[in-house]
Amino acid sequence: MSEQVHNRMAVVRAERKVSRQALAEAVGVHYQTIGYIERGQYNPSLDLALKVAAFFELPVEALFSLEPFGSLTQEVYGRKAQS
Amino acid sequence: MNASNTMTGYDRRMRSLMNNPRLYPLHATAARRRTAVAAHVALTGTAVVLAVWLFRQEAPWTVLVMPAILLPWCIVTGILNSATGGLFELRARALDERQLAEREQARSAAHKMTGALVGGAALGLWLAAWLTDGQLSRAYVAPLLAGVFVLHWLMPLWIAGLLVKDDPADDFADDAVPSYS
Repeated sequence: MSEQVHNRMAVVRAERKVSRQALAEAVGVHYQTIGYIERGQYNPSLDLALKVAAFFELPVEALFSLEPFGSLTQEVYGRKAQS
Repeated sequence: MNASNTMTGYDRRMRSLMNNPRLYPLHATAARRRTAVAAHVALTGTAVVLAVWLFRQEAPWTVLVMPAILLPWCIVTGILNSATGGLFELRARALDERQLAEREQARSAAHKMTGALVGGAALGLWLAAWLTDGQLSRAYVAPLLAGVFVLHWLMPLWIAGLLVKDDPADDFADDAVPSYS
């Protein structure tokens, strides 16, 4: 019942230069809740996930997934990270 | 939080009080929170023992000592409430979904622990009554009930205080980042 929901919130938030506080106020949660979600310590409800997606004007699947996200550079340029 | 539009002025004042950033350094690390919980347990235990003595009029001097225990108890209670973001002081409508889930988790764990303690206390009293023909158990019923009540009342706060996770270092630093517009 407690399947891990992966998310890209930290990456998108940093890219958009939005603070945790600002995002928390926009979606109506405590600022620590944003940190908990970003670190995978709390899975948001569908309601909250949709609010976050609406705030960033992105489809919800761009932010949340049951599968781990690949790197953005790989997705955009199709290159694998060098190890 | 949960339904911000239904919050009263009291809810907003209490939420602001429970999330006072000036208290943050007092519970910023797991070690500080553990210390606060340990101090609170010790102060609570001392206060209960003193109250029982006072109730039995065996030690009237406890009236003088009680404020010296209750004042730090109130301060440490405030630290724990701040550490948990007012989990047990705020109404549900002033908490968000993650906080409500944490409150239920702490209450559930506390319920299991206090249930075991109440069962143990009842069994202990029954055994004491059986062994002493009822003399010993009568003397211990009131203090035991008082102790169990206090445990039932405060165990969720202690557990929640221990379950709080550290904030990442940038939780406050990123407040300087200008909002996207």
